[in-house]
Amino acid sequence: MMTLLLSFCRSWQMLWKNRLYQGPSPRNQTYSVLYSYFHFGKKEQRYFSLTLPFLQNTKATKLLISKATSSSKSGKNRSKQESSVSPHPLFSAGTAKKKSEVFGYKKDQQHCFPFSSPVLLPTKPLNSEEWDKVKENFEQKDIFENWMIAQMVKYSCSIDIAKSLLSWIARKNNGVVGYKLLIGYLTLCVSQRQTTEVIDVYEIMKTRYRTLEPEGYTLLIRGLIHSDQWRETLILLEEIKKVMSPSKKNYGDCIKGALLHQEVNLAWNLYLEMLNHRIIPNWETFQAFFDFAKGVKNNPFERRLLDILLYLKHNQMYPTEPFAQSIKAWFESIPEKKWKGESVTIHKSGHCSACGRMLKSIHLNSEEYEFLKQRVLKDVLDGGDQYRKTTPKEINRFVNFIKSCPPFDIVIDGLNITKMFPKIRESRTLLDVVSQITKQNLQVLVLGRKHMLNGSSRWQKNEMAAVQNMAYCFFADNISEDDAFLLYATLHSGNHCRFLTRDLMRDHKACLTDDRTRHLFFRWQQGHQLVFLNYYPGKKIIFQSVLTYDTVIQTTGDSWHIPYDENVVERYSYEIPTKWLCLRQQN
Amino acid sequence: MSTCFTFLRHFVKRSVVPFVLHKKGTGLYFTILHKRFSSRTPILFYPNTEKVPPIKKIDLDEWKNTMKSSLQEERSSFTTSDDTLTATREWIEMCRLLNREVPEHISDEDLKMVAECPSKKSKKKTLKYLYIKEMHKKAKKEKQEKKRAEMDEIEKQKQLGNAEESENTELKNTFLLPLNDRALKAEWDWRNAQAMIFGQPLVFDMAYENFMPQRDLKNTVCQLLESEGANRKNIDPFHIYFCNLKVGGAYHKELIYRYKEKWEQLLLTTTEKSPVDTFPRESLIYLTADSPNVMTTFRHDKIYIIGSFVDKCSQPRISYANAKRLKIASERLPLDQYLQWEVGNKNLTLDQMMRILLTLKNTGDWEKALEFVPKRKHSGFHNVFVNSNNFVMDLQKNKLEIKKSFRKLSSNAQSRETWWKDE
Repeated sequence: MMTLLLSFCRSWQMLWKNRLYQGPSPRNQTYSVLYSYFHFGKKEQRYFSLTLPFLQNTKATKLLISKATSSSKSGKNRSKQESSVSPHPLFSAGTAKKKSEVFGYKKDQQHCFPFSSPVLLPTKPLNSEEWDKVKENFEQKDIFENWMIAQMVKYSCSIDIAKSLLSWIARKNNGVVGYKLLIGYLTLCVSQRQTTEVIDVYEIMKTRYRTLEPEGYTLLIRGLIHSDQWRETLILLEEIKKVMSPSKKNYGDCIKGALLHQEVNLAWNLYLEMLNHRIIPNWETFQAFFDFAKGVKNNPFERRLLDILLYLKHNQMYPTEPFAQSIKAWFESIPEKKWKGESVTIHKSGHCSACGRMLKSIHLNSEEYEFLKQRVLKDVLDGGDQYRKTTPKEINRFVNFIKSCPPFDIVIDGLNITKMFPKIRESRTLLDVVSQITKQNLQVLVLGRKHMLNGSSRWQKNEMAAVQNMAYCFFADNISEDDAFLLYATLHSGNHCRFLTRDLMRDHKACLTDDRTRHLFFRWQQGHQLVFLNYYPGKKIIFQSVLTYDTVIQTTGDSWHIPYDENVVERYSYEIPTKWLCLRQQN
Repeated sequence: MSTCFTFLRHFVKRSVVPFVLHKKGTGLYFTILHKRFSSRTPILFYPNTEKVPPIKKIDLDEWKNTMKSSLQEERSSFTTSDDTLTATREWIEMCRLLNREVPEHISDEDLKMVAECPSKKSKKKTLKYLYIKEMHKKAKKEKQEKKRAEMDEIEKQKQLGNAEESENTELKNTFLLPLNDRALKAEWDWRNAQAMIFGQPLVFDMAYENFMPQRDLKNTVCQLLESEGANRKNIDPFHIYFCNLKVGGAYHKELIYRYKEKWEQLLLTTTEKSPVDTFPRESLIYLTADSPNVMTTFRHDKIYIIGSFVDKCSQPRISYANAKRLKIASERLPLDQYLQWEVGNKNLTLDQMMRILLTLKNTGDWEKALEFVPKRKHSGFHNVFVNSNNFVMDLQKNKLEIKKSFRKLSSNAQSRETWWKDE
């Protein structure tokens, strides 16, 4: 029944690629036009130097574009080789983006055009008179100093210029520079890794102020970890704790500092402390551990890194591409075990295309299944107040109805699927779908609302009667929410039962109270939600295949499979990555 | 050249469209662009080293020395006090130096509130709230002082010219003292007392205490006060009921806090009972935006219920669930039918509801009543043009139906024909 139309799938991918290619091409045109303009005048060189950051940016984008196209090309080749690769239609990374492109929602042109306006800042240190002159030209005199330093931070000016600004201010101001300016200067120093300057500013702040606020501390921590005074960062971290809990950035920086100076245990303790405070670490923090461990040969540390991977597994987190590369590099650096890493995709059947191992099944075990069922009944359908989504009477009616029926194979959200095709009469779509599915000897339940029975031009009575003959039907009140009934009916029928709707059920997922249940729900949804691949009235219906394997970090002892996010693909929160890192031991 | 350059910059930012524009009206476009650009970047530095003689070396670290030398005491590290309250106070001080939105003066109670906030975000939010409150207070004080100064000025001038004026002024001959506030209040009280006996009831359902955080509850009580005031001044007031009002509950406390000793003298009915127990169920109508039924007319024999509930935590359908549970009929205002809705929630504030209902009661005119819907939420009433459009559509529909029936008739005729042929 759930056959996959491969050729269609391929053509669909092609379509997307064409679109992707169309994106950058107009930009290239604008560049060429621009280029001709630059060679127009005599003094083009001067302006050229001014717009340097812009040109660098274009280079960067071009690089990115070329990378994207090359990766998509390679993806095309791969799909030719392994045509069975098929991500889940609703949840695989990039689907939502693709869909929005198909429907023609275009982002703001400026948004996709990385361009920093070349504000004209001084190119060398100025003396006092020159600064005075500059200030005279500026319109708002009272914010001049702050504005100037903010611009310098924005365009990453050389610190000598900032210094000259500060000396000018100090000379005007009896040798005093305000806190805000100092913070601006510190930001500049930290972003340019001027460690000696950071230490100087640190000394000044220590003598000037009794205490700082978290922003200042954050900057100091970030600046000091590279210096010999890195242990001071721990004191600064304690200072932050007095007012509020430190951010993940603060912890991450301190951990990085400890690792830079070979203090593994300290770093690990900070990491544990962070987890205790329920702060989720940055990817850079995890990566720092793996990068550090590449050179170390010691067994307890290996255990800790595996602990990190298990932590990611339990929290359903997917590594970023650079982090995945770090993991791979670390595994391959372990002596005598001979790990080999490869970036792969997974077959539809759940086999890894490199090592051929079967991935973990997406189906919940019976304990988890029962748990999820109870929670859906309690949180989604009931929700503390039965009157909000439906009425107790209707819940009773529904539960009795479900009990009286045999378990279903497919539960259909009647309203959702019929509204997908606005040009076709609703009742006709429903009849068509139901009759085709029941031909395959499947037990079908159609959920709908009572108004569907009343008879109108869109809902013809005879067609609805035919539907009722072929399938079990349950019609909720017009004001009730039918999705909750759909979920419960599917869960009640057992693990083989699927449901047919295009709804992503995000609002119902949000009704569940804790993260664990939400993960269970999402896993169950990936394995049980059916969607049309395409539909024309009267033609054979084809569904997209459902996932059979769970997208999560997993291990069998001598192999690891780690899904990760590609750099070029934009993944939405309800989607899952399609790329995997396969690690295996070679004997 | 520079115009060319500015044009270029703009062009790069704005993709292709300006390019086309440029061809249409070059001169104008250039000047506009130039103005825009020059206002945006105030300083232009050219590294024109030929003109300026080589300057002497600038001492870049001079400021550091002065900053360090002006210190009074040598400290090895920061010395934050261990007490959280003092630490928070110091933190706020430092935030002020960064021009963050934090209050200048903070009382111990507020400080405690800030220190007890669970997260960084909530702390910042509370501080911003205090900051805005402080700014309002400051502005009000300034305004008052300005007014006082003006009054003093007038007084002075009066005193100066007093001698002459006092001779000119005579007592006017009137038959009434000016109508003062007290007289107005007596009049309102009289009307409300009458409403207590003969007026149409209007129920505020106070059953939502537990669905709101403290600040929303305060807002609700503000709105209740406002709507009670609007009702009191109306020519034909409702008889207000506060149902489900638990004595000693959060609502009760807040209302007494706001009304003070006036609470006992208010001309309205408060009860701990639910509206279903107070009135016959058939005559009740629950007003809620989630209801599927649209209110078409204001009925003088019905008792309308308004849920006193400010829903900022977005928990939809709570009041509608309540109506379903009590088996009360529910209705919503015909906002979509009369207004071109643009932004915002369909939930209106309590005082807006009260004013709309009062207007409906007195005139029955929907357009007049819906004047009280905030203007920012809609772009105006559906005008005659739209109505005429609807009219045309209706006509077309009718036409289609006529055609259909005609076809039916003709098909009948055909079948009759065949029948004839069969014969």
